[in-house]
Amino acid sequence: MIGAENDQPVMIFRDVVKVYPLPAGDVVALDGVSFQVDRGEFISVMGPSGSGKSTLLNLMGCLDTPTSGDIFISGTRIGDMSDSELTSLRRDRIGFIFQYFNLFPLLNIIENVTFPLMLKTGKGVDPERGREVLRAVQLDDSLFTHTPTEISGGQQQRVAVARALINNPDILLCDEPTGNLDSKTGAGIMDLMTDLNKKGTTIIMVTHDPHIAEYSRRTIRIADGRIVS
Amino acid sequence: MIFWEIAKRNIRIHLLRSSLAMLGIVIGVVAIASMGILGNSMVLSVSDSLRTVGDSVIVTPHAGGGGGGFGGGGGSSSALVITEQDYQQIKRVSAPNVAIPVLQTTDRVKLGVGKDDLVSLIYGIDPDDMPALLTLESGDYSRSSSGCLVGSTFAKDNNVKVGSRISVGTDGNKGSLRVTGIIEERGMAFDVSTDSAIVATQDWFSNAYNRNDYDKVVIKVRNLDEITSVKEAIEKQMNRRDEVVDVMDTRKVMESIFQAFGQITTFVSAIGGISMLVAGVSILNIMMMSVTERIKEIGIMRSIGAQRKEVMSMFLYEAMILGIVGSIIGGILSLLGGYAISSLMLQTTEYLFVPSSLIHIVYGMTFGIIICLICGIYPAWRAANLNPIDALRHE
Repeated sequence: MIGAENDQPVMIFRDVVKVYPLPAGDVVALDGVSFQVDRGEFISVMGPSGSGKSTLLNLMGCLDTPTSGDIFISGTRIGDMSDSELTSLRRDRIGFIFQYFNLFPLLNIIENVTFPLMLKTGKGVDPERGREVLRAVQLDDSLFTHTPTEISGGQQQRVAVARALINNPDILLCDEPTGNLDSKTGAGIMDLMTDLNKKGTTIIMVTHDPHIAEYSRRTIRIADGRIVS
Repeated sequence: MIFWEIAKRNIRIHLLRSSLAMLGIVIGVVAIASMGILGNSMVLSVSDSLRTVGDSVIVTPHAGGGGGGFGGGGGSSSALVITEQDYQQIKRVSAPNVAIPVLQTTDRVKLGVGKDDLVSLIYGIDPDDMPALLTLESGDYSRSSSGCLVGSTFAKDNNVKVGSRISVGTDGNKGSLRVTGIIEERGMAFDVSTDSAIVATQDWFSNAYNRNDYDKVVIKVRNLDEITSVKEAIEKQMNRRDEVVDVMDTRKVMESIFQAFGQITTFVSAIGGISMLVAGVSILNIMMMSVTERIKEIGIMRSIGAQRKEVMSMFLYEAMILGIVGSIIGGILSLLGGYAISSLMLQTTEYLFVPSSLIHIVYGMTFGIIICLICGIYPAWRAANLNPIDALRHE
């Protein structure tokens, strides 16, 4: 694996095509998409539904591989990777933030946050590291031993951000991160994102909300499987 | 590990349904273990009454043949006997193992003046051979030729003690014997069944009944590995031309009896096994439910970096916990159940706390855990092989 040097792009898409074979005929979800994400960028991806946004998100998140074209994550080509290699890549290089927070109800806050770290090390909970990251997302210490259902949506999303950050990923990948929050709480989360970005975290955010997209420094617009701007 | 913790917590929050599935395993373990214990206890109680140890070769005259060999005895020539000459040959081929010649008959006996006559089995055995064959409960082996031993049942039923006198034959025409010892209970045996018999000395027997041949020869084999070779040697020597003797190897007989019992035990345990299979189906069922409910959770885990085998392990842990806990509870209940069944059906629990009975609890528990794991494999595999994208989108 090539080392992640600072001037190397964290993500490169080169002529990426994704076709879903269906009985009624092939569906071309992405049709020759090329772009590059440099370290420290804050990008939003916008597009109407059916534009290929979700497919693009799945490919960026290494949940899927392209039909043709190349994708490089921190210099590593993901096209021929096995499921296990892709999984390790997601664990070590990518932090996921979902619209519905998606914390594990059976685990408390500290366990949720350190879950990807436990996957990586194979060891038990590291509460020190968990607390450190939770403080970085400005979550109150008294909540650390609660379960996700006992805290508010905004707090849950902060926990989710902390979980995404725990393995020091190259990219923070957000899918409508404020879609399930009221505008004030959403703004709080976006301020946190901006703050993290200023400290050097690369963020790619998929959204259909132009107000949220304004927080980013660059916007990729997609329609009918192609980048339009 | 965190997946173990998640498996534990998932069982705890679905306590009722987990308990019900576990109950199936508990019943399965109890069924297998208590059936096995019952079967084994029956084997043990039967083998206790069949006290013969499997170390003897017994030679009897061939039942289908004519006379007793070439020499022809002093007794009636039509009787089935082993002649002195035959005995010497048997003794020679079975050396260095002891070949004990045995005489036997039934006759009237009287246990004192005014008492009624009884009909009793009488053996004639050389006093030197008695210790090898018989263990005494009280008294001593007979030294003089008019001494005799009696079986424990005979002694109890007829109130015979060491020193009692027994007159043998119609009106005592065969003479009188003095009891020198009581033989310990032997149960049903293949060599000599002495419990209700009188054991006189060979000298006295030969004189009284005018015999110089024998009814059977018992060979005590010291090294059990030789038992088959001793048997074969005798057969080869004696039955070269004609079937002169029948040779029985007590170990073989015991083996076939225990084999039959073993089959019965296996059969009843298999019936218990069926209930375990039913329990396995319910484990499969709740594991499938558990997977279906948590598809989205699996999708999240996979997307943030959980490997397939880690997801799989989480569900296998869950099945394993159900299996282990169910089996432990089942094991404890089996002990209680085995106790109850033994005391009800066999009126004793002495056969319960022996390794060959307790092993059935281990069998039941092992089978329970294995069934749970097997029934957990498919749901776990399903969970591990879900497409993360589809699983994430699942509501």
